[in-house]
Amino acid sequence: MFYYPVGTVIARGLGGTVEGAGAVGAILGSEFYVGVAADLFRDPAAVPAGIRGWIQAGFPRVDFGLIGFTVYQALYSTLASLALGLPGAYLLARYSFPGRETLKSLTMLPFVLPSIMVAVGFVAMFGDSGVLNDLLGALGFGHVSAMYTLEIIVLAHAFYNAPLITRIVGAAWEGIDRSMLDTARGLGASPTRAFVDVAVPQLLPAVLTGALLTFLFTFMSFPIVLALGGLQLATVEVWLYSHVQQLDLAQAAGLAVVETGITLALTYAYLRYESGQQGLTGIGRGPNRRPLFGSLRDPRRIGLLAYGIIVVVVFLGPLSSMIIESVTGPSGLTLEYYAFLLERQLTGAAFQVKPLPAITQSLGFGAATLLVALPMGVTVAVLESKQFPGSRVIDALLMAPLAVSGIVLGLGLLQGLVFGTDVLGHSIRITGPVAIVAAHAVAAYPFVTRTVSPLIKRVDDRLIESARVLGATRERARRDIELPLIVPGIVAGAALAFAISIGEFDSTVVLAEGSGRYTMPVAVERYLGNRTLGPATAMGTVLLTVTATSFVVIDRVGGWWEP
Amino acid sequence: MTALELDGVSKRFGEEQALESVSLAVEEGEFFTLVGPSGCGKTTTLRIIAGLTEQSSGTVRLGGESMAGVPPEERNVGIVFQNYALFPHMTVAENIAYGLRFHDPPGGGTVEERVTELLELVDLPDFGDRDPETLSGGQQQRVALARALAPGPDLLLLDEPMSALDARLRDRLRRTVKEIQTALGITTVYVTHDQAEALAVSDRIAVLNDGRVEQVGAPEAVYQAPANRFVASFVGDNNLFEVASVDGTVARTTEGLEIVVENASPGDTLAVRPENIHVGQDETTLQPTVESVEFHGTGYTLYCQIEGRELLVAADTYPDEPVTVGFSREAVQVLSGTAANE
Repeated sequence: MFYYPVGTVIARGLGGTVEGAGAVGAILGSEFYVGVAADLFRDPAAVPAGIRGWIQAGFPRVDFGLIGFTVYQALYSTLASLALGLPGAYLLARYSFPGRETLKSLTMLPFVLPSIMVAVGFVAMFGDSGVLNDLLGALGFGHVSAMYTLEIIVLAHAFYNAPLITRIVGAAWEGIDRSMLDTARGLGASPTRAFVDVAVPQLLPAVLTGALLTFLFTFMSFPIVLALGGLQLATVEVWLYSHVQQLDLAQAAGLAVVETGITLALTYAYLRYESGQQGLTGIGRGPNRRPLFGSLRDPRRIGLLAYGIIVVVVFLGPLSSMIIESVTGPSGLTLEYYAFLLERQLTGAAFQVKPLPAITQSLGFGAATLLVALPMGVTVAVLESKQFPGSRVIDALLMAPLAVSGIVLGLGLLQGLVFGTDVLGHSIRITGPVAIVAAHAVAAYPFVTRTVSPLIKRVDDRLIESARVLGATRERARRDIELPLIVPGIVAGAALAFAISIGEFDSTVVLAEGSGRYTMPVAVERYLGNRTLGPATAMGTVLLTVTATSFVVIDRVGGWWEP
Repeated sequence: MTALELDGVSKRFGEEQALESVSLAVEEGEFFTLVGPSGCGKTTTLRIIAGLTEQSSGTVRLGGESMAGVPPEERNVGIVFQNYALFPHMTVAENIAYGLRFHDPPGGGTVEERVTELLELVDLPDFGDRDPETLSGGQQQRVALARALAPGPDLLLLDEPMSALDARLRDRLRRTVKEIQTALGITTVYVTHDQAEALAVSDRIAVLNDGRVEQVGAPEAVYQAPANRFVASFVGDNNLFEVASVDGTVARTTEGLEIVVENASPGDTLAVRPENIHVGQDETTLQPTVESVEFHGTGYTLYCQIEGRELLVAADTYPDEPVTVGFSREAVQVLSGTAANE
């Protein structure tokens, strides 16, 4: 019964097939969505001739349509994330420096940073009146128009996913047994050769895992593309949202099925690949770390210094730009945007987005999400720790929320439950807020499970048995011994679930459409349409404060998600 | 009086027969050791006694009462595991006091008094407020022992409690355990794979192999009169010969060696301890080649080869080559039949 929300979503996603079966065909046969590949679905027999024609025409640029563009940008984003993330993995694995642990835990930040806020940060930095252009203007350089380009989307995706790459690859790198490299050296390999022969084969699976996850996430990415690309550079997800907004639900359902088919296939590939990679990990001594700070005559240190500067610009730039923009107006420092938020609260019309309901409703949804996601996540973690036939199914179910895009989830809940569904002749309807909480809980509970289950696995059976023999009943032993040992994971999982709920945008924006049930990220997006960046950045800063607090809680308590 | 009795206890894990009809009786106050190679079923036996694993058939009796359906928390036993299993979120004192949440402190004192008493018993008087992970392995093991003893159990179960420790510490802790056991007079079942350890501390030992009890007896009796080929080879060093034919008092082994012995018949196994073979001639005289020699402080072990097989000899002095070794017919134990499993 804990799988009810997930099950609902998947059933609804598949339910969409029935209604949208015609739509799926229409989409696959449409040049708009798939470009020239449309012929493949409309008239497969004509394909060889088409390819011959293409070759004869001298390989002109091929347009694969909306889906083609989505894949294309995800590919670029993945490459950019690898480029930005891999040096970080090298840095964390091979160098020691003060703040190393802090930096390591900061790589978890993207999981709690609301993506709409990151988008606002990028607008604040690279937008027409953003910090970058202000700086360039002050220095007497020309104007840079970075908005609505593929580059800025890719950069924002790299911001989001490079830390993931750093985290996964860095962990694998630290797990490589130093004595294996020493053995290769002893057998006559040069340091480079030893690295290529021994370390690279062990790193490659982690790199591919990270790349596959990044591709999956960027394929489904929504707020960043919406805010930075607009409809000119729309991906499947943005187009889907635009259909939902226009209440063109049949088209939307068809597109949702196509998208979910692709993301499920990617997730399946990821799971298959990951399960084949359970090798010798984490038993050896990690690599030797050299101090980071030392002679700059070492070219590697110069490289890392350059990398550090890039990291500061890419990661701190957008966030600080957002804060800067929120307190600077045309006439210098100002608090007028925060004042605007207050004023809108006091005098705003009913149809206008007020800040206070956004904050209180966000907090309310966050709390409600906790009530659902926490017991759900802990129960799944307990089930997962018991080795029984089908426990692998749970692993797959845990990945499912990652595999289904937020818009599709929102759509499923909207169509299936909010609009009502007939079960055994009874019409079942739930209200918008309940659907929003369900969507948030589904997105959040895997993270609770992921933080709790390693701790459950670490509780030695002998501890429980010792307590039993000393006189404790089974239940008492669990309460006295097991519970205190997994509490840190539960607290960290709670903070993570709360932060995810606060930052969730994709499903919420679908479910909150046209209602007063907006949250902080939705408010940020609606303010983003304003003439100035002020209100959006001010709201974003409030959002940053809330999520940063959650982050500090998680970091203090520990128990981070290890993918 | 019998403190613990196992009557035809068997255990299956799926296809695998872990224990096959094990019957044992442990007397009140006895230090009883289950010894055998890994996988022989000794730990399973201990877990069945504690109630942590349920037997497939057979009966466990504690103090004469059947334990059928009695959960571990109601059996009043104490257990110490190899990995200590101290509760990491409790101090040393809280660990020791845990069992007193469910039992009144024996002797009528307060919980604090009982904890202090036990910390002194295991010689860690000032360690009560420490966290377990700040203690050395030997200290953690003593805390685990104190925790198991705190509620005053009728029976103490020790599951390979020393095997994670280094040799010198293990010897010292083993003496501590034995002294405490003797002082308290508590019935103890000790599980180990180390036969030397079993011989050193036990009142009686049971040798287990492949889920079966091979022999039960005092350490001296098991060492000097092994019941079969398995026990002869597992407990202490031994030279085993298989008898091919017998001519009067001369047995001819499968390798073609001639050994003087009473009452052997073809198919029997002859066992000769290395310390019962001496340099020089005797009733049986052999001329092996010495492959290597190890010095042990009290003497030498000669690793010899004869007719393609190994021969172990314990010698007082470094041997001159070529070496002649011999033994009398009293040194030879005749084990009827050849055990299938070795």
